[in-house]
Amino acid sequence: MSSQAAGSSSGGSGDGGAPRRNSRKPKYSKFTQQELPACKPILTPKWVISVFVLVGIIFVPIGVVSLMASKKVVEIVDRYDDACVPDNTTDKLAYIQNSTIPKTCTRTLKVPKDMKSPIFVYYQLDNFYQNHRRYVKSRSDKQLRDASKANDTSTCDPESTINGVAIVPCGLIAWSTFNDTYVLAHNSKNLTVDKKDISWKSDREHKFGSDVFPKNFQKGSLIGGKALDPNKSLSEQEDLIVWMRTAALPTFRKLYGRIHVNLTENDTITVTLENNYNTYSFGGKKKLVLSTSTWLGGKNDFLGLAYLSVGGLCFFLAFAFTLLYLIKPRNLGDNNYLSWNRSPAGR
Amino acid sequence: MGEDHGSSRHMSASQKELGDEDARVVRVGDTERTNERLEYAGNAVRTAKYSPFTFLPRNLFEQFHRLAYVYFLVIAVLNQLPQLAVFGRGASVMPLAFVLIVTAVKDAYEDWRRHRSDRAENNRFAAVLSPGAATQFPPTKWKHVRVGDVVRVTADESLPADMVLLATSDPTGVAYVQTLNLDGESNLKTRYAKQETLTTPPGQLTGAVIRCERPNRNIYGFQANLELEGENRRIPLGPSNIVLRGCELKNTTWAIGVVVYAGRETKAMLNNAGAPTKRSRLERQMNRETLFLSAILIVLCTVVAALSGVWLRTHETELELAQFFHKKDYLSDDKNSNYNYYGIAAQIVFAFLMAVIVFQIMIPISLYISMELVRLGQAYFMIRDTKLYDASSDSRFQCRSLNINEDLGEVKCVFSDKTGTLTQNKMEFRCASIEGVDYSDITRQQPAASDRIWVPKMPVSVDGELVELLTDGGETEQGRYAREFFLALATCNTIVPMILDGPEPENKVINYQGESPDEQALVSAAAAYGFVLVERTSGHIVIDVLGEKQRFDVLGLHEFDSDRKRMSVIIGYPDKTVKLFVKGADNSMFGVIDKTMNSDVVRATEKHLHSYSSLGLRTLVIGMRELSQAEFEEWQMAYEKASTALLGRGGLLRSVAANIERNLRLLGASGIEDKLQDGVPEAIEKLRQAGIKVWVLTGDKQETAISIGYSCKLLTNEMTQIVINSNSRDLCEKSLDDAISMVNKLQSLSTDSQARVPLALIIDGNSLVYIFDSYLEDKLFEVAIACDVVLCCRVAPLQKAGIVDLIKKRTSDMTLAIGDGANDVSMIQMADVGIGISGQEGRQAVMASDFAMGQFRFLVPLLLVHGHWNYQRMGYMILYNFYRNATFVFVLFWYVLYTGFTLTTAITEWSSVLYSVIYTAVPTIIVAIVDKDLGRRTLLKYPQLYGAGQREEGYNLRLFIIIMMDSIWQSLAIFFIPYLAYRKSTIDGASLGDLWTLAVVILVNIHLAMDVIRWNWITHVAIWGSIVATLICVMIIDSIPILPGFWAIYKVMGTGLFWALLLAVIVVGMIPHFAAKAIREHFIPNDIQIAREMEKSQDSHDATHPEIQLSTMARA
Repeated sequence: MSSQAAGSSSGGSGDGGAPRRNSRKPKYSKFTQQELPACKPILTPKWVISVFVLVGIIFVPIGVVSLMASKKVVEIVDRYDDACVPDNTTDKLAYIQNSTIPKTCTRTLKVPKDMKSPIFVYYQLDNFYQNHRRYVKSRSDKQLRDASKANDTSTCDPESTINGVAIVPCGLIAWSTFNDTYVLAHNSKNLTVDKKDISWKSDREHKFGSDVFPKNFQKGSLIGGKALDPNKSLSEQEDLIVWMRTAALPTFRKLYGRIHVNLTENDTITVTLENNYNTYSFGGKKKLVLSTSTWLGGKNDFLGLAYLSVGGLCFFLAFAFTLLYLIKPRNLGDNNYLSWNRSPAGR
Repeated sequence: MGEDHGSSRHMSASQKELGDEDARVVRVGDTERTNERLEYAGNAVRTAKYSPFTFLPRNLFEQFHRLAYVYFLVIAVLNQLPQLAVFGRGASVMPLAFVLIVTAVKDAYEDWRRHRSDRAENNRFAAVLSPGAATQFPPTKWKHVRVGDVVRVTADESLPADMVLLATSDPTGVAYVQTLNLDGESNLKTRYAKQETLTTPPGQLTGAVIRCERPNRNIYGFQANLELEGENRRIPLGPSNIVLRGCELKNTTWAIGVVVYAGRETKAMLNNAGAPTKRSRLERQMNRETLFLSAILIVLCTVVAALSGVWLRTHETELELAQFFHKKDYLSDDKNSNYNYYGIAAQIVFAFLMAVIVFQIMIPISLYISMELVRLGQAYFMIRDTKLYDASSDSRFQCRSLNINEDLGEVKCVFSDKTGTLTQNKMEFRCASIEGVDYSDITRQQPAASDRIWVPKMPVSVDGELVELLTDGGETEQGRYAREFFLALATCNTIVPMILDGPEPENKVINYQGESPDEQALVSAAAAYGFVLVERTSGHIVIDVLGEKQRFDVLGLHEFDSDRKRMSVIIGYPDKTVKLFVKGADNSMFGVIDKTMNSDVVRATEKHLHSYSSLGLRTLVIGMRELSQAEFEEWQMAYEKASTALLGRGGLLRSVAANIERNLRLLGASGIEDKLQDGVPEAIEKLRQAGIKVWVLTGDKQETAISIGYSCKLLTNEMTQIVINSNSRDLCEKSLDDAISMVNKLQSLSTDSQARVPLALIIDGNSLVYIFDSYLEDKLFEVAIACDVVLCCRVAPLQKAGIVDLIKKRTSDMTLAIGDGANDVSMIQMADVGIGISGQEGRQAVMASDFAMGQFRFLVPLLLVHGHWNYQRMGYMILYNFYRNATFVFVLFWYVLYTGFTLTTAITEWSSVLYSVIYTAVPTIIVAIVDKDLGRRTLLKYPQLYGAGQREEGYNLRLFIIIMMDSIWQSLAIFFIPYLAYRKSTIDGASLGDLWTLAVVILVNIHLAMDVIRWNWITHVAIWGSIVATLICVMIIDSIPILPGFWAIYKVMGTGLFWALLLAVIVVGMIPHFAAKAIREHFIPNDIQIAREMEKSQDSHDATHPEIQLSTMARA
């Protein structure tokens, strides 16, 4: 230290006396000398315990609130893919592929609790890999948006062109649009399913062109799914728009519509559905879901439980650390703890 | 003494002698015939690497020498195959292109600057003799100057090429040049034109032929001869006859020379090599972890490939019709053809390769660039540190190598030169022993200047008794010898006096210019005692002897060389007597002194020499002999023959010298003090406390070395000294064995370290000769590492490197060599870290070094403060970069498990690419440049804190494994919390991908934030700014309607679940790191942690009691 002091003082005096011309002495600034004012937080016991307590205090209430919200959600899930195939069918695949057989099927659902409107109607597919690489990539966003880019189908294989004519909308995703339909009745009165605004507004306005019309669509030898009305522009084809927001995970729901009627406990709902969509080829399940919604979305106990357990863990850690600090206290910044002071041999 | 640096000059001197067959033939003034075979380079220089046409290929070629770049190129190429196209074209090439373009722009800019300076240089004008004319020198551009041209240079002009001097404005043919640009030495060097060409008008020299050696990079050697037209005689030319490109002519009105080497063949250009490249230890260790990461990468890819195979196998029958697979190409003519499906085996291979592409950033490409930027930043701070600025030489710290900053924090062994490194290399004449009488009672008073005409620039204190003896005792025997003694000092040297006007008109200040500080001190001393060297030409010198000017002819001069370790001159007195004066190191001199002549004197002198060196003085012995006419003539014949010899000239001259330097009469000895530099003892003490071993390697004799050792606190009285100086291999072995048994005995005695006796090993160069390259090396090593201090004396330059190598080969200890002279170059290059002191001895050491600074004591702040910081910062940055990229890759990997193992990423490809370039790059670089674990004051107060770097606590395998485990945990939290919450929901891929992107970026930044020790505004801006920048980038990406994820971020940010999940991810991800940190810092604190807490309490203390802070600082 003293050498340092001597060095700096001699340097300083040399500078102070007669300022030398063109001295290369670096200019002093807090930045270049790495002496910028800085905050030096240290994890003191006080800090550690308060952080854990604080996290606990924040997490437990959030957990309780979300758990309550999730409990409030009423959800009816009905798997119908097996049930809607006549019992005597041995080859389900042949059944679903045979377009001459009528596919109408009736399901009865019981409302377990009062459901307030709006009630969301979803279809749920299990084991359908909408995130499969072959699948996600097979679309042309340019074509969907812009009528002049109809031939921009290079990314759409294997559903890009038929006999050299571009398919609009092209690609596997559009080709496989879900095509089961549901008609709901309540006390033998028809329950209107509102299919407006089920897609994102941003998609309708910017992603799917209002001047782009289906063309040459679903004309191949293998029908993947829904056929589109060639007279409705893509921006009006909301089922397609919803379907093309590909799901992140292989089990997913997609919005089918909304019911603006309150349902009461023990009501029965009759669903008349057209079982068209082929999930039998790969063992996928199809479910119809009716659900109310909260700020958290649908039924989801996980979040609440997670928050509660993390909050609990933090309280526990706060307690454990308090104990540890009491059992093994240490004076902060005590130089007796320095390694060379600890052993008797030091310096 | 003189050997310490005289030897360096000669060590580097050209070894090969000049033969006719490989000589370069230059015809003076006849460029046509000289260049007719077109084999000599023109004078245009080209330092630029590229031309506009070659830039692209050459620059790319050079950049791809980095293995990491090849890796990324291969991946980018793989990605272009249609089956493997994971990323779009743009996204896949972007990271590599970014890195390449940044580097290329930097290179292009540097090269453009070189082009510009080349152009300026080539278009300068020189005065070149026009052919046929006698004295006309029209201006010619430098680039048109050719070998054989006769060029006239005026004062303060730069020399356009390497030229042999033909004539100068000085009637004796002297020219002074400053070689600042060449070797950085600012003193003037004397060069001579040959008498034979001095008076001939340049035009008439045409036809003369110079035969010189091939171009080489030795700036201190030149061999040639000159054959004038019509004469058969060959005039020898040596290094003193050539002036080099890049030098400036000083104090000489004009000089004329003939160009012998031009352009890229000049010595200056041949020496234009860059700094040495070394790789830091951290970087080498980092390669080990990179291999681990590669292994993890391969495991991940294999898992994905295998699982994808299993998946395809189990679903094989279903794939044909599954809407998301669509195995057959139903729209093609051949209804049975597959679409993009080549069987399970091929799909597995594709899956593997695609996995490599997707997970590529497991190996962090940006790390290499980050490291370079961080080192630049660290270098900036080291250069700008006012504590590393040397006011006496006005020099800043220099970072010459940008690759090993962090090695400064791990040094365990310092090898230091003594002269000029521990000492100032400012010699001061202190003692003289003349005829066995010691004159060392120096009254610290200057003789009155009023009666003196000549005032040497360097003040010298004189011994009053000796002054009296010289002025009054002229007739006594003692007085006569004293006069001879000082005459020897004034003549036997290569010093050039420069006479300047003094403060008063009647006296003149003499500035003695020379290459050796010892000689300067001796000549100045002679001047102080009344023997003033006032003029030197190639043929004679003028000395003002006690007020009376006398002219002496210099008949011959045998230069210093490291074999003889002495130099001699042959002086013709005005009264026609001829005397030989010799000065040299004592051991070499006592071999040639006739001891029978005056044995009492010899014995007394030896005693004085011993006491001088015990005081730490550098000693020289002076001898003389009067030559008879016959002896002189015999010598002159041999001398002339030797100096015109073309083959083996050096050896011949040496033998001529050895022949004449014998039977000398001892005149006396001198003692020169070389003062310790400021703060050296304190610095050594600090280094010792920091656990760094200091070895001193010096050319001085043992006594001098030991005494310097004491005065710089290297040696202390409680140390047990082991001295090894033996003259044969057997003796060496015996002393080493003794030393080993002694070491073992002492170590067994003192099992508890309290009573440990510190050991010092002192070994001389003679013994080292026997020890090196034999099995004794291991024994020496065994002794040396047991000792606290090792002092090697009388070592030759190459031995210095050998000693460094001894340690480097056998231990993993980081070595640092520090020195100032050319004799330290080999050691500096051998050590892991080489430091040059920009001092008195020129700049070769600096040129070879990795770092250069002005004072030895700067080593303390350099290692203890900057080294510590650099190491801690770099170590953390590398670990963090590994962790950061791994976390991201693991998140991608977990997702792949839920996509049928098809390498889909929810995170957009642009975010994948930008992740390590933009989202998370800046904070780690900034933190690695500006964060510091401890303040300068603390680090200097507790040098032991340096041990953290020596023990490699900042970067090791354990830390790597811990941080990778942390990385896996955090990736699990990031992936599975949203996964479990969004299972069976309407969430789309893009929204979930955006959540994951933000979660990863926020989490890794908070991880960094938690490890930041000092929060200043820059850190705040970098860390929080990068989170904001990420959000902005994600928003921009999601505002492009033709991307599938359009508007997802806006949509998902509007839901409460998004925020709840983000919070949960961050807290769950950070809990283990936070808890582990809390436990580690409180229950198993390391020294750095304790010191941080002390610093913190000190700060709060200072805030309340500012005046106490000052006093503690002074005490410390």
